[in-house]
Amino acid sequence: MKSRLREEFYKTGRFKDFPVYDLHGHMGSLCAIHFPAPDADSMVKSMEKSGVKMLVFCHHAALLSPDIGNRANIEAVRRYPERLRAYCAINPNHPKIIEKDLQSFDRYYGNTYVGFKFLASYHGCSITNPRYESALNMAEERKLMVLLHTWGSSDLCGPAQVRKIAEKYPGARILLGHSCHNAWDEAVKLTKDFPNVYLELCAVLNDRGPLEKLAGEADTGRIVFGTDLPWFSYNYYIGAVLGADITDETRIKILSSNAEKLLSEHIEIPS
Amino acid sequence: MKFKFFDANLYVGRHAKTVYKPAAEAEELIKEMDRQSIEKAIVWHIAQHNFSPAEGNAMLSAMIRKHPRLCGCWTILPPQTGEVITRCFFRDMKENRIAALRAFPDIHRFLLNRTVFGGFLDEVSDRKIPLLLSMEKGCSWEGVYNLLEQYPALLCILCDIGVWGTNRYTWPLLENYKNVYLETSLLAIGHEQVEAAAKKFGAGRIVFGSGFPERYPESSICEVLHCNLLDSDKKKISWTNLDSIISGVRL
Repeated sequence: MKSRLREEFYKTGRFKDFPVYDLHGHMGSLCAIHFPAPDADSMVKSMEKSGVKMLVFCHHAALLSPDIGNRANIEAVRRYPERLRAYCAINPNHPKIIEKDLQSFDRYYGNTYVGFKFLASYHGCSITNPRYESALNMAEERKLMVLLHTWGSSDLCGPAQVRKIAEKYPGARILLGHSCHNAWDEAVKLTKDFPNVYLELCAVLNDRGPLEKLAGEADTGRIVFGTDLPWFSYNYYIGAVLGADITDETRIKILSSNAEKLLSEHIEIPS
Repeated sequence: MKFKFFDANLYVGRHAKTVYKPAAEAEELIKEMDRQSIEKAIVWHIAQHNFSPAEGNAMLSAMIRKHPRLCGCWTILPPQTGEVITRCFFRDMKENRIAALRAFPDIHRFLLNRTVFGGFLDEVSDRKIPLLLSMEKGCSWEGVYNLLEQYPALLCILCDIGVWGTNRYTWPLLENYKNVYLETSLLAIGHEQVEAAAKKFGAGRIVFGSGFPERYPESSICEVLHCNLLDSDKKKISWTNLDSIISGVRL
């Protein structure tokens, strides 16, 4: 299939007619992997090169080091307010920290946060656990984005758990990080049953085929691009979107307009 | 600058499991390569892995016969059983235009070490025949480390190295064994991983691979085209390194 976007990106490494948005990022080092360039400066440089206008991320320290917590997110966004927004990390094993973060949420809403990030399989606590409720209630009231790490085989953050959350909190914008990886039928079904569920493509793009399935069966207006940056490369993942058997119109929705619509509910996107 | 690509890592044939739009025949593979501007490739047949190395090797040889853009890659098994490695093995490789070998020790239930392969892999090393090892298909890091300790001169291309950055596994190998190369189909997935490996060990240690049909060739191509390296380094990765390896094979 001939693609104008494919030709353009091959030639220039970016798109001139629309910006890319990345709704699934991280930042900073991590014990199980060596990242050559995990700092904010390097990440923003890569964004600029690939034409990525905004990244919504959650710092590894915020997710995995309660001693540092969401301060890591706040400091990074403060340095790059035109480029970065954060998901406030919710670690269910530390309810007092959650309470404190929610109390100060208003101070950072819009200028730093656009929602929450749950990493249930790493925290060892199902997304249906009541410890997430205070954050989910806030997301429900304010239509915040909630980026869930989801995996098809998980009993902490698999399709069955997502279903319960999506049903109970219809106002929250629930982003299925990794789209319930490898449980593609269930992921599609979730989007059909719940208008507040979105499919996010990080790790989906590692293999040929799943994107074609999701884009063929789910509403293409609810598929968003994400890279886990600094894990995965913009060139590689944009290349995958360009390689998939989908139309350029769908590619633009996935890479740009769907995310822009979601973000514009919470922030004025810098021109 | 226009780059041409020599692909170290793609296969032909239908997988026993579901794989999205594979190239069942060589002609389909060539068509896909044309679409991607991949000029040449080292190709293997998925039946070598899933069904029978001996029969898969034969299927591959028949498929590539009419296609000079495809260099063949056979799969080896322990010499003792005589299923693949025979007295005329290297002559047969030459006659069938086979330029590389693969091994899947964990799937095919053998150990890739000196007790099993003895002088055979010394001869493979001497003949500079690349041995391609897929870290997603039947090889462990411990197995690779043991193999290279016993055959330090072996020309070894590590493929499908994993989606989690694997520098802690691969960099000690690049540091200690000058004939070890990394293939890009998953190296390139990592943010600035191609650049990091090239800056530390030289772009001469990286060869292009698409991972087709399991991965989008566009992914690896876009990373090679747009990574933060000089065009001369990109050219090495996209073409020159693998071309030199294949030109250096002595059969």
